[in-house]
Amino acid sequence: MKPARITLLALMPMGLAWADETPTEVRFAEPKRVLAGDAFLGERRLYPSPVLHDVDGDGLKDIVVGDLLGAVTFAPRVAGKTVAFAAGRPFPDRDGKPLKFHNW
Amino acid sequence: MGSQFVDLNADGHIDYLTATFDGSPHVSYGSALGFGAPEHLKDAQGERILISSIWDYEASQHTDVGRAMPDGAARGERCISALAFDWDADGDLDLLLGSYENGHLYRQMNEGSDKEPKFTGRNIPVLAGDSPFALPDKMTAPRLVDWDGDLDLDLVAGSFGDSWGQGGAGGGVYLSRNRGTKGKPEFGALETLIAPARNGGTGPTRPTAGLYADATDYDGDGDLDLVVGGYSLWTPEGRALSAEEQATVDRLKEDQKAIQARQSALLQQVQEETAKAAEGLDQKSKEYRAKWSEVYRKHNDEFAAIRDELQAVTKKIGELVPFAQRQAFVWWYERL
Repeated sequence: MKPARITLLALMPMGLAWADETPTEVRFAEPKRVLAGDAFLGERRLYPSPVLHDVDGDGLKDIVVGDLLGAVTFAPRVAGKTVAFAAGRPFPDRDGKPLKFHNW
Repeated sequence: MGSQFVDLNADGHIDYLTATFDGSPHVSYGSALGFGAPEHLKDAQGERILISSIWDYEASQHTDVGRAMPDGAARGERCISALAFDWDADGDLDLLLGSYENGHLYRQMNEGSDKEPKFTGRNIPVLAGDSPFALPDKMTAPRLVDWDGDLDLDLVAGSFGDSWGQGGAGGGVYLSRNRGTKGKPEFGALETLIAPARNGGTGPTRPTAGLYADATDYDGDGDLDLVVGGYSLWTPEGRALSAEEQATVDRLKEDQKAIQARQSALLQQVQEETAKAAEGLDQKSKEYRAKWSEVYRKHNDEFAAIRDELQAVTKKIGELVPFAQRQAFVWWYERL
C-alpha cells in the first residue's frame, strides 16, 4: 500500500505547519479480466459499468453491472481467501423480477 | 449507466441511483421488501432533473431545454450519470450530475431535508482547479471515493474515447482530488490514473474505450484498486494463407461487396418510397417515422434475405482471415 499523497508535519520558523508533497505516481499492474463463474464479467454487455456492493448481505462486496440498455446484473463474491465471483445473474427488484431502468 | 447505492431519502434503506442516456437521473427506492420500480428523480417543482438535453418519451426524440442551466441556455448536454453527495454538509444529500458531452459536472442543491429532498432544478457548474470540470473525450460516470485517505471524497471518473474505431484514441480514468474542507469541496485539476491508449492490437489486453471505473480495495490488501468496465478492440493474428485460400478470400470479399451494394440500394429505395409516401411531413416527426416503418416492413423479407447472405459470406471469410473484434469486459487494475 502506497499513499497517493504524503502529508508531512514540517517544523517551520513560525511553528508547526502541514505541507503537502506533490502526489506520487500511482501505478497499477497489467489489468486482468474478471471472471464470474466461468465467463468473463461484462462480456456481450453494452458498456458495462461495474460497482462493488454487498447485494446479498453476506458481508462481501459483489459486483453489480449496469449497462447501456438499463439492465442490471450482479456477480456474488464467493467466500474465501482468493477473490472469486459466481456467475452473474439478474439484479432482482422487490418482486423478484430483473430490475430494469428506462433508457431512450 | 453508472450506479450508486445510497440512502437517498434517509429511510434506513439503500436506494439505487443512476442516470441513463435518456438524460435524467433515475432512482429505485429500497424498502424492507427490496428495490421498487425505477422512476425519474424529480426536482422541487416536480420536473425531471436534467442537465440540458433529454429524451422526450412522448415525442420520441431528444429535446434540448435550458431550464436547469444557470443562464437558461440549452447546451445539448445529456446527464448520463448522477451521484448523491452532501456538498454543503448540511445533513442532506445534494446531487452531482455528469454530462456525456464535454464531460462536465454540475451540482444541484437539496433545499429540502434528508428525508424529503427538494432539489432546486438549477445546475451549478463544478470546477476542477480554476476551470469547469471537464473530462476529455466524453465522461462515462464519476465515482466518489476517499482516494488519498484524507477523510474527504475525491472524484474518480472514466471517459469514453472512440469506442468503435480500430486504431482510434481510447478513453482513460482520471482523479480529481478534493482539496477543500467539509461543506466546501474544492476539486483539483485532473490527474491521470489510467492513460488512454489506442484501440487495436492482436488481443484483448486492456479496456481502451468506454471506461466505467469503480475504486475499491478489490484484493483486500489495504489500498484502492480500480475495477473498470470497458471495450477492447483488437484483430487476432491470422495464419499465412495458401495461394488457393487467398484467391477464395478475394472472391468472397468481392461477393461481400456486391451484397452490401444491393443492401445500400434497397435502403435507398426505402428512403425514396418513404419520401413519396410522407411528402410534406417533417422528417423528425412521429408521422414520418411511422411512414418509414410502414415502407420498411414491405421490404422486410428482402432485407432479411440480404442479411442472411451477408452473414454466410462473412462467416466464410472469417474462417480464413480473423475479423476485427470489439468486446466489452470488466477488468481489475491492481494498485501496486
